[in-house]
Amino acid sequence: MAKKPQENPALDMTPMIDVVFELIIFFVVTIKQEDLFSRLNVNRPAPATSSAPSDSDSDDITVTIEIGARWDRNPNGVIVYNKKPLGGGGPGSAAAARKELDQNLRDIARTSKKTPIIVKCAEDSPHKALVDVLDICYKNELFSVSVFTL
Amino acid sequence: MARKAQENPALDMTPMIDVVFELIIFFVVTLTEAQKKDETIELEDGRHGEAITPETLPPTHMQIDVNAKGRISMGNHTLTPDEVQRRVAEKYRKIGEFPVLIRADFATPHRDIAKVMNACTAAGIWKLSFMAVGEDKTNERNRLKRVRGM
Repeated sequence: MAKKPQENPALDMTPMIDVVFELIIFFVVTIKQEDLFSRLNVNRPAPATSSAPSDSDSDDITVTIEIGARWDRNPNGVIVYNKKPLGGGGPGSAAAARKELDQNLRDIARTSKKTPIIVKCAEDSPHKALVDVLDICYKNELFSVSVFTL
Repeated sequence: MARKAQENPALDMTPMIDVVFELIIFFVVTLTEAQKKDETIELEDGRHGEAITPETLPPTHMQIDVNAKGRISMGNHTLTPDEVQRRVAEKYRKIGEFPVLIRADFATPHRDIAKVMNACTAAGIWKLSFMAVGEDKTNERNRLKRVRGM
């Protein structure tokens, strides 16, 4: 049924408002998307084994990663592997350190993915360094990670 | 049946009110959902971690928030480490082992996270998870990191 063209100059706003609100809802829903979260699982070592994990069992290889305090005011924490601060340990070394750790852990994962990893964190170290190290462990599919506090 | 063009200049408000109510309900629901956690926490990236979805994270899990200043909270109630231990122990007695998810800010010093970890361990939970950002959808966090110079 054909609609008669409107004679009154005032436009019927209702459908337009409907559409505009629909658009607003659409954008609110799509733009305010939540981040997707992930979880990094760790074990807490039993107090009995925490004192000397490396001395007794010589046939098992364990990898120890230490996360230092904010040496040199490095806000990203210093990752120490094989008693050596990765990436030099100074300020601005964060990305290099993480890359170096990734390479080292890739070699370890090639030998055995069941290698236990021990992460020792200094009390002053920022949480982000621990999460970064855990993320690199997960990237190389090394899932048996224990966390100590120094 | 064709609708007659409106003669009165007053707008028909009913559909608009419908839509506005829809919007209000949407915001109320999303806001109450969001208020249950510490909003100051900025998580570190952890792209290789296990994705958190309703399927992978059982509803029995417990989430403990630790912000950059070391405030420990659950559902926006500030808790001491002793209170955390009591809550975890109580739940452990009731249902046995359950996942504990620590949602900590990237700048939190490790000593504050160690307090939570020790409280959980003392209550019988040895397996802990750290929450990280698996997929950054909002890009809000990166901007904040740049502002803080990290």
